[in-house]
Amino acid sequence: MKIKAKLNGDETEIKLLLESPMAGKEEAATKKIEESYITHITAKVGSAVVWEASTGPFLSKDPYFMFKFKGAKAGDKIVIETIDNKGKTEKAEEAIK
Amino acid sequence: MQRRKFLSLGAAAAAVVTVLPSSLTATDFRTTAPKAWEAPTSKEAIEALFGSSAATDGKIEIKAPKLAENGGAVPIGIKSSIALTTIAIFQDANPRSAVAVFEMGDNGVMDMMTKIKMRKTAEVTIVAKGKDGKLYSAAQKVEVSIGGCGG
Repeated sequence: MKIKAKLNGDETEIKLLLESPMAGKEEAATKKIEESYITHITAKVGSAVVWEASTGPFLSKDPYFMFKFKGAKAGDKIVIETIDNKGKTEKAEEAIK
Repeated sequence: MQRRKFLSLGAAAAAVVTVLPSSLTATDFRTTAPKAWEAPTSKEAIEALFGSSAATDGKIEIKAPKLAENGGAVPIGIKSSIALTTIAIFQDANPRSAVAVFEMGDNGVMDMMTKIKMRKTAEVTIVAKGKDGKLYSAAQKVEVSIGGCGG
């Protein structure tokens, strides 16, 4: 996954790009592939969850998100964790600058 | 605690809600409101997720193209000046309506964007719960020239 974490004044802007076919039931049948899509994403700074998403296969392939929050400072780390429909997890972090 | 929540997802167990030190509860709507994800129409999905489809218009701004050339990646921007806690995207282009449900922390700024798939021209609806507990919504028709749902 790719994380961009930028501080603009007191607001942090996160741009997140995840890797996943986001193929649901119909698409998997049409393309003859397995159903594979991210189901849950959490974004944390320290112990606080700043944003989270319950996601489904109608998000675009390799889903992209932009979201914002306040309260972080330069040098804080944002940690993104994802899990997919098979239970596979991914985790990455990025310093907010 | 996160680990336990992730492991229990595979077993389709009852909703596991992890209470974190901050004011935000990490909720996985796939386990707490599974019917919302199966509902074919936006009205049914909204009711399954929020318990009601009665929402106030005018407080949420949707930024979506009037005509999407690529139905596989339609950018949907959501902005609002009021404090929102839960924001959900629904559409009537695909076999089921719910696309994603987002939760903001206490310090969330209501300005976000993602990209969705739409296999045909349809309405995209955003329904959000405010910190005041009320429901707000906004809808926009998006025309799709090339459907993007792998079908």
